Amino acid sequence: MLDMTVQSIITGLMMGVIYALITLGISIVFGVLNVVNFAHGDFVMFSMYLSYMIGTALVWDAVQTPLITIPVLFIFGFIVYYLIIDRTLRQMYVVQLAVTVGLQIFMRSMALIIWKAQPRALQYSIIQGNIQIGPYTILTSRLVAAIISLIFIAGIAWFLNKSWAGSAMRAASDDLDMASLVGVNYRRTYALTFAIGSALTAVAGGLLMSFQQTDPVGGIRFGFLSWCVLALAGLGSIPGLIISGMIVGVAETVTITFFDPRSRLLVIYGIFILVLWFKPRGLFGRK
Amino acid sequence: MLLKISNLNAGYGKVPVLHECTLEVNEHETVTVIGPNGAGKSTLLKTITGLVKAMSGQIVFQDEEIATLSTDQIIRKGIAFVPEGGRPFPNMTVLDNLRMGAFTKRENLKNGVIDELFALFPVLKKRSNQYARTLSGGERQMLAIARGLISRPKLLMLDEPSLGLAPKLVDEIYEKIRMLKESGLTVLLIEQNTSYALELADRGYVLENGHIIMTGACAELSSSDHIRKAYLGI
Repeated sequence: MLDMTVQSIITGLMMGVIYALITLGISIVFGVLNVVNFAHGDFVMFSMYLSYMIGTALVWDAVQTPLITIPVLFIFGFIVYYLIIDRTLRQMYVVQLAVTVGLQIFMRSMALIIWKAQPRALQYSIIQGNIQIGPYTILTSRLVAAIISLIFIAGIAWFLNKSWAGSAMRAASDDLDMASLVGVNYRRTYALTFAIGSALTAVAGGLLMSFQQTDPVGGIRFGFLSWCVLALAGLGSIPGLIISGMIVGVAETVTITFFDPRSRLLVIYGIFILVLWFKPRGLFGRK
Repeated sequence: MLLKISNLNAGYGKVPVLHECTLEVNEHETVTVIGPNGAGKSTLLKTITGLVKAMSGQIVFQDEEIATLSTDQIIRKGIAFVPEGGRPFPNMTVLDNLRMGAFTKRENLKNGVIDELFALFPVLKKRSNQYARTLSGGERQMLAIARGLISRPKLLMLDEPSLGLAPKLVDEIYEKIRMLKESGLTVLLIEQNTSYALELADRGYVLENGHIIMTGACAELSSSDHIRKAYLGI
């Protein structure tokens, strides 16, 4: 019993870091543009399919596929920004909601047309086996995925704090007019933010494909996950984001281990509602 | 002439706030625009910086029409704007705020401009690693002015730098602005605190209900009956 608990917590912590990586994308877009991208989970699903295709065609490991999917999703993010998001910025909130939900339905439908309703998984992985620590098993593929996620999260944190473009993003998030008044081109900053948010799903997609399958409706689960982690973390704290991802990851694996695997979305949504109810700014949010 | 505004109409939505405003700022001159609350003073500065779009009229900066440019392009021409309350970026440190001020002139970070500004505002050096949201009102105002100056602008525009500050702090801020003026900086100052503004500036404009109703040297304005009654309370 204790062993099972510890085992599911270990697995949950590793998944949680990947969830934090997924959420980082939706978080910077929400923080800077003040737009919730409801299609974010479907970006992850789309990235997973791309990884599947590249992995199959080039006989690559899923973990290698972001080398190609990152630039693809980065450019895709730019296109989506200028084609859709940019036109809704000065509009009512419901318009932004409608276009990103519309994008979600569009991407899911496209995935159904292109890849059919059949789940896909990569057969081959160079990262095999597991690490045994006493009675506990750590799947190497998940450990590698968690470590790569942490590296990317740290990279984004560095970028936000140290680079000019990252500082412009923080400034635009704090006070958009004032950012313009120090010479920041807000549209370029917004587009870059959205493209980075999109590119992060490419990393997550590749990592997830190293131990999971993908299906066209799987995006909604990552969408739920990322809203839940975002609500838990609040805006502005990257360590808070990682901890929140871990809380959700552990809640999920504990549910799968001790209750019914089918109830995991229920638990995640339960956390989401409780957080919005009692801590609407999240556990680590500023202000 | 550094800045020349002619027949400017501007406002929010379809309702104009400014009517046919004409205003000039020469190089190395300090010009003030005074007027009651709601006269359109802030709208004037927001229109110059492109935050509010001009409906008609010209805004010419250094012989170049800027009314159609975007805010960031206008700022790149060499205008710095310190809005009401200063508005430093609250979740950035003092140092990061100053760095953001140099966004269009990054080489200034290496030219020792920060040290000059720390000499002018010693309190900022003490607070350099603090978040701007933790600063007092006076410190925020000083940070905002320093952030505006770090790009070495040709024109510094200040929107009510005295607003909400204790009299002693107002004196201190105005002392700094005077030093900047004496160093040759061109300043466009908007103020409700008329006596301070008229004492500091060379020339002034009086804006009421979106119309410029008077202009002249500050000494002239101070002695006019209308100003004495309506603004100085004498």
